[in-house]
Amino acid sequence: MSQDTTNTPDKDAILRASIDRSLRHPVMFFFTSAAAWLAVSILLGLISSIKIHSPGFLSCAGWLTYGRVFPSHINTLIYGWGAQAAFGTIIWLMSRLSRQQCRAAGLILTAGHVWNFTVLCGTVGILAGFGTGMPWMEFPAFAWPVLFITYTAICVWSLVQFKVRPEGHTYVSQWYVLAAMVWFPWVFLTANVILHCMPGHPVMAAGVNAWYRSALLLLFFVPVGTGAAYYLIPKVTGRPVMSYTLAKIGFWSLAIIAPWAGMQKLAGAPLPYFLPYLGAAATILCAIPSFANAFNLISTAARSGETVVHSPTLRFTLGGLIGLATFGVACVILNLNSTLPLSQFTLSGYGFDLLGIYGFFSMVMFGAIYFIVPRITRREWLSRRLIKWHFLFSSYGLAIVVLVALFGGLMQGVGQEEFRSNWQFVAERAFPYAIFMTFAWIGILLSNIWFFLHLTLMWLRLGRRSSHPTLLLDGHHGSPHGPEGDIDNAGPGHASAAH
Amino acid sequence: MSDPNQKPDLEESINVTETHGRIARQIAAAARENKLGENGNHPIAPWFIFILVLVGLAAGAVLNNSGKLFAYDHTFREGYVRAPEPGGGDDKLPPVPLVKALSAKGSKIYSAKCNGCHGADARGDGANYPSLSGSTWVTGHTERFAMIILNGLHGPTSTGKVYSAAGMPAQGGGMTPEDLAGILTFLRNDKGNSVGDVVTPEMAKAAMDISAKRAKAGQQTDADELKAEHDKDLPGEKADANTLVDPATLLPAAAK
Repeated sequence: MSQDTTNTPDKDAILRASIDRSLRHPVMFFFTSAAAWLAVSILLGLISSIKIHSPGFLSCAGWLTYGRVFPSHINTLIYGWGAQAAFGTIIWLMSRLSRQQCRAAGLILTAGHVWNFTVLCGTVGILAGFGTGMPWMEFPAFAWPVLFITYTAICVWSLVQFKVRPEGHTYVSQWYVLAAMVWFPWVFLTANVILHCMPGHPVMAAGVNAWYRSALLLLFFVPVGTGAAYYLIPKVTGRPVMSYTLAKIGFWSLAIIAPWAGMQKLAGAPLPYFLPYLGAAATILCAIPSFANAFNLISTAARSGETVVHSPTLRFTLGGLIGLATFGVACVILNLNSTLPLSQFTLSGYGFDLLGIYGFFSMVMFGAIYFIVPRITRREWLSRRLIKWHFLFSSYGLAIVVLVALFGGLMQGVGQEEFRSNWQFVAERAFPYAIFMTFAWIGILLSNIWFFLHLTLMWLRLGRRSSHPTLLLDGHHGSPHGPEGDIDNAGPGHASAAH
Repeated sequence: MSDPNQKPDLEESINVTETHGRIARQIAAAARENKLGENGNHPIAPWFIFILVLVGLAAGAVLNNSGKLFAYDHTFREGYVRAPEPGGGDDKLPPVPLVKALSAKGSKIYSAKCNGCHGADARGDGANYPSLSGSTWVTGHTERFAMIILNGLHGPTSTGKVYSAAGMPAQGGGMTPEDLAGILTFLRNDKGNSVGDVVTPEMAKAAMDISAKRAKAGQQTDADELKAEHDKDLPGEKADANTLVDPATLLPAAAK
């Protein structure tokens, strides 16, 4: 970040505070509604998980059949939680890094409401049976133009802020956030226009759809999460990013490789057969940016061990980076020649998506929320215990869901390859994994309901009035910053009280 | 009024202390932030580069499997859909007795062609459509029965009763010898009949030849013609009803 624009630490702090204040309403709106959608999505995920092993569950309600609950689960996860958490982070990060106050908070807030309402209508549409049947694009066709327009209204201001930023160095996070902001409309518009306005051959449509899923994950959620992690870890630890070269390798390899991935879902389909294998090779290569960024940032954080233990932001962000490294491993093992046939029609694809969306992206977003919210509300988190529980239940629960889905999916694939045995045998192979998954979802659901309530209390400005950061220390006495004080008694002079 | 901060500053238009206090509170959270560090230039560990190379090799191996790049006319990769193992043979259906295999075919044809008039139980309605159950023309000589199915029938039936002036329309159009063998075998062994023999596809083929050479080819047959010319069994080698055959090909198959 450029430091030459401000002369004194005081002026610098005042500028940051004014940026935070200008963004308070839109960012809190995005974070709170995202957390609410996350709870809804996990509830739907729980129902669909139960239906895998107990098909009779809730069978009385036609709108809760598996074919409707599962798409609503995925779509609320992506457009309800993921996109809105990303929007909140993008607009805040871009303002801070470009040192510009937000001048369109009202418009962003309005667009955010429209986005939420569209996601609600889309979800009801899916549950009512009007889903399109295209994975990740199941909202009825009316939704996508509205989502696209509201996206533009939300994010275009961040582009403007980047354009008018003070001259100087462009920080790594800015590359990623800027790239994600440009890639999202490209991916979203391309796939939706081709599939909704120019319906061609159905096999090709399936190909476009598979590319969209992969591109949305690799070209929107992954860069936003990476950009946020590149901001949070150096910021909280006070150390520079370990290797600038590695950061550049990570960025450019992602930008060059990721658009080629996705078609591996269609191996064996009547497409030109180099396409699926090209997609598989590109997905394997996506392990390079994943490993480079995860290694770079984990090494940066590892040199401040104690801070990592105490800071909620760092804990979640590091959890996410471990998720990113695992995501890289999954990129490789699911796309080898030997595993490709096993991973196509099984739970493992779902495990891979969840690993990217929740294991990496969402964990970093939680870290970002724990960092950003005290700054824009000027209140501290109420309960360190709730944060700890949120971390424990989320990380353990998710690890179980992902491992079970990946491994159980491969086992299912092995069963499917035994094409002489009947289908029931294959389904039974997934049965124990499905039960395990249901229990993990219950844990994740609980943790996120607490998270949502905690966040709502912060939005209502009921947080602690303290200038001391919330640290995950045992007991209430051990704060390294002395006894907790009222926020009015602390000031910029306490800058040494590092987060 | 006891709070000194609330007293107006008479020298200036704003309360400096209060304003300063407000600003201080607003920036309290931001003030404890660290500066974002300069970029590091720590060297990249060789073992890490080695891992990235391994990833590249794995991707190369997959790409090597993708055939010719940008070859849009190569749609299928050989062997992606696995062929049955040689000698496995489990993909074939289990063999069944010949009478069952033929009756299964006949049952489908019955429900398509005969069900509408003769009814699901083949007992007709007693007024417009005769019963096939227990009918001597069904259970009797096979050539007579085959001629009725292939060409239709008008006039009196086996019981002497005339059911309708139009009679039964010909059903032979589009039938293969296997189909005819199936419907004949089915009706002689099901729906209340139990002759116990089968009409083979070869016999059915002979029936079709005979039908084509009739003097009144293309017209319905009648009781007189049946009695004069067709009151006999179809020529051809008789087959054991319990021979095990492949249900798809009807060729003899060994029992498992």
